[in-house]
Amino acid sequence: MEEKREVGRITFSLIDAFRLGYDNVKRRFNRAALSMAAITLGIAFFSTLSLMDTFFRIYTQAEGGGLRMESYQYWLLLVSLVVCVVSITNSMLIAVYERYREIGTMKCLGALDQHVLKLFLVESIILALLGGSLGYGIGLVASIISVTFTLGFNIVLKTPPTSLLALLGETILLSVALSTVATMYPAYRAAKLDPVEALRYEV
Amino acid sequence: MRSEYIIETEDLARYYEVGGEVIKALDGVNLRVHRGEYLSIVGPSGAGKTTLFNMIGGLDRPTRGRVIIDGVDISQLDAYELAWLRCRKIGYIFQTFNLIDTLTALENVALPTIFAGVPRDEGERKAKRLLEAVGLGDRLNHKPRELSAGQQQRVAIARAMANDPAIILADEPTGNLDLHTGMEIINLLRDLNEKRGVTLISATHDLKMIGASDRVVYMRDGKIEKIEKGGQYPSIDFP
Repeated sequence: MEEKREVGRITFSLIDAFRLGYDNVKRRFNRAALSMAAITLGIAFFSTLSLMDTFFRIYTQAEGGGLRMESYQYWLLLVSLVVCVVSITNSMLIAVYERYREIGTMKCLGALDQHVLKLFLVESIILALLGGSLGYGIGLVASIISVTFTLGFNIVLKTPPTSLLALLGETILLSVALSTVATMYPAYRAAKLDPVEALRYEV
Repeated sequence: MRSEYIIETEDLARYYEVGGEVIKALDGVNLRVHRGEYLSIVGPSGAGKTTLFNMIGGLDRPTRGRVIIDGVDISQLDAYELAWLRCRKIGYIFQTFNLIDTLTALENVALPTIFAGVPRDEGERKAKRLLEAVGLGDRLNHKPRELSAGQQQRVAIARAMANDPAIILADEPTGNLDLHTGMEIINLLRDLNEKRGVTLISATHDLKMIGASDRVVYMRDGKIEKIEKGGQYPSIDFP
């Protein structure tokens, strides 16, 4: 009689990843705030320009005239988003380095590489949602102030709320996309970490 | 057929290459561990104790030889199966506790149950029971930094038991503890070993631990020097 090789399931559901990730963001707030600052600033810049663009279009429709964003502003935007991605990557790499032992311990307890990957990506999505919303808020305030001084507050009132909401959606999507791209390499590094090496490591 | 031995190693070797020089961390270790045994592994640092643990725990792969756990040659297992082995069959206890700082005692103990696919409330109930069993029923929501070293090691022991493992690997579990606290931890481990039938393997310098164990394996330079019956040293009683 041969003994059956009993190998069961190992899991780490998305819900568990979100719970653990959210706890991490909350309890390591200083580290999270640094990563978030990069997202927030990049997104604030993006949403300021996009909102200004929207207001300009409403103005052009109502009053005529060819008020448009300058192309150099788009270049500036691109550069700022690249800087944003690089800052998040940098910040996340440090986070991985600080959590070497934790990652090693989790692997000893049965976590798979993909679980570690999932945890870091989920954390970056949480940061992106928070940072993106905050950035949009800053952009909204900044663009309204700017438009009020140049074109008058009327333009803001004429702008349909749905277009502001649509822009919020786009902004959040962009934020999540940027943060995910930025976190891929650090998360991969964390996932591939050799537990023997990680546990020997003294922080 | 259930093998008489829970762990067998056959000519187990692990060589590292550091700067062009080959270091033989393990060099032909043959060891058989009975079910429910309490084994101490003793030796100077660099003798290969931790490497042996990493091999048994499936954290590292041998250069030569085999590790058989519960009749299964673990070199045949893939990454998923090894993770399952670490999750369900083996509990780890470290010298430095390695609790996760951001999680409470309860969450630390419940963590392995998440990977084992136990529903959350069930995992937390179990974690609570285990923490009560190690005498920390009133410290469930404390973070590791709010606990003493001895209490942290108790949390780590509860965590190691979370998925009812067959084997506990304890690497210098009393190394960072004072005499009295170390004694408490040893009694706790011995208790788990006797009452729950867990096979306990402990690397140690601690004479008290050696005294409490069934057998003592002396290692030197990656080899087993000798194996003796335990209990050679009288355990120290505290009032």
